[in-house]
Amino acid sequence: MTAKALQLVRAAGSRYEALVLGLIAIVLISAQLLYVANLGRQETEEQIYAWQISSFNSFEGADQAIYNSLFTVKDEVPYIYDDVNRFNGPDEKFRWPNIEDFQDYLVPPFYHDTSWEQSGSVDWLLFEPVAEGEMQGYSMYLGTNGQLDKQGSFLLTIGHVHAGFSNNNSLDIWWHPQRSIAMPESGFRDTLVREGWKLVVPYSGDKEVKRIFGE
Amino acid sequence: MHQPIGSTRHLANVLALLSILIMPTANAENLKVGVTLHPYFSFVSNIVGDRAEVIPLIGAESNPHGYVPQPADMKRILDMDVMVVNGIGHDSWAFEILQAAGAKDDLPLIYANDGVSLIPIAGDPSGAKVVNPHTFISTVAAIQQIYGIARQLAEYDPENADFYRKNSRAYALELRKSRAKFDGMITGVDLSGFRCATMHSGYDYIMQELGLNVSAVIEPRHGVEPTARQMADTIDRIKASNVNVLFAEKYFASALSDTIRDATGVQMYSISHISSGPYSDEKFADEMLENLTTLASAIRDVANIKATAP
Repeated sequence: MTAKALQLVRAAGSRYEALVLGLIAIVLISAQLLYVANLGRQETEEQIYAWQISSFNSFEGADQAIYNSLFTVKDEVPYIYDDVNRFNGPDEKFRWPNIEDFQDYLVPPFYHDTSWEQSGSVDWLLFEPVAEGEMQGYSMYLGTNGQLDKQGSFLLTIGHVHAGFSNNNSLDIWWHPQRSIAMPESGFRDTLVREGWKLVVPYSGDKEVKRIFGE
Repeated sequence: MHQPIGSTRHLANVLALLSILIMPTANAENLKVGVTLHPYFSFVSNIVGDRAEVIPLIGAESNPHGYVPQPADMKRILDMDVMVVNGIGHDSWAFEILQAAGAKDDLPLIYANDGVSLIPIAGDPSGAKVVNPHTFISTVAAIQQIYGIARQLAEYDPENADFYRKNSRAYALELRKSRAKFDGMITGVDLSGFRCATMHSGYDYIMQELGLNVSAVIEPRHGVEPTARQMADTIDRIKASNVNVLFAEKYFASALSDTIRDATGVQMYSISHISSGPYSDEKFADEMLENLTTLASAIRDVANIKATAP
């Protein structure tokens, strides 16, 4: 074999082929990383302030179950309110459903059954609003004295329309790390935050839909 | 007695007749509500009664897990006025059908989980907080969806808003009565020895609302079989946690559950995912009661074994 036959002949565009292939690889890897970072992301991230707590990330077991039941009660309590006041006379005072009413309607987390026991046998109290003073305009349901380790207390506050809460009754759910606690001084947000209550923020389906499909 | 034309009584009769004539009936221009999953067929049917038509998007015997859209689905979707979807991970194929039918921008959707407080799947091997889309295997989250669907349907059909709300409340009470029946089945039973594992994360919502802890989940992701290493770890975890009951899937049988049972000695029970079989108004309530009855049997069996153990 002659020296001429062994001569290395480089392709005219060989310098660029490697460059183009490298660029394509970088683009593909970047696209894959972007996909994983956005569309493929499973964990939920949400801005939670110091005076709030996430039901999804911070609760588990009994407290998460109690919160989710209360979340449904938010929809239901206005219906039951209508029921219990349906036959009121003209001078009769309207009232919010009490804990006994919830027993009749089998509504958790108030209804006393085995699941209630399994979730810590929490005591529920209703505070009806007074005519005057700081407590005017709020009904509150306090859930306290749970029997499980690391269990907190819950508060469902209902700010009434006549007390100036937008155009609808405003219902919020609060959580306190103490298992046993007294009824708060007031249902106003500032007071509750000062007493160590945290507003519970749900990770609801609409947020997950936005995460999956975008705004 | 004959009423003179123009009398108050006569006018009242004419108005009553008119109101009957214009009252919505089963056949006159009723809203056509599409649904993607079996539970939503039952939810919507119970809410709308005979005042709307409920149209399932896919065939009754189709498995919604990994469903491949069919040409007939596109025809059905074009006949709907509005469609109820899970939207958070169980009916992604519905969006492919919408796209293929060219109805993506035209058909209004009701996202059933919009107002539902979600929970993470239990026992994720990585410890990550991953959204559990099985909100319909429950009573609490199901009732939340029923109220939400009724409220949104009322926006499309305001004349029947009160009717839908009343029906949603009656249906919610029916589901709560099933839970009360479950409670009656286990009243006084010692639950302290009850430890369960589940084949997949589909039962987390119902277990949590009943106050039952899930110690282990076999499938690392719904429909994804564990690797040999994951399987070995799960078996170790089941043994270490003294799990005595395994809940497997009624409709989608898996040989894995038998393997787990043989390796650990747990008792096995089947729970329905409520995702297959004929569509019916009663399906959800019936199968949920069946699931609760199975749970009660498992709890009683564990308590009996504990009581008779030497």
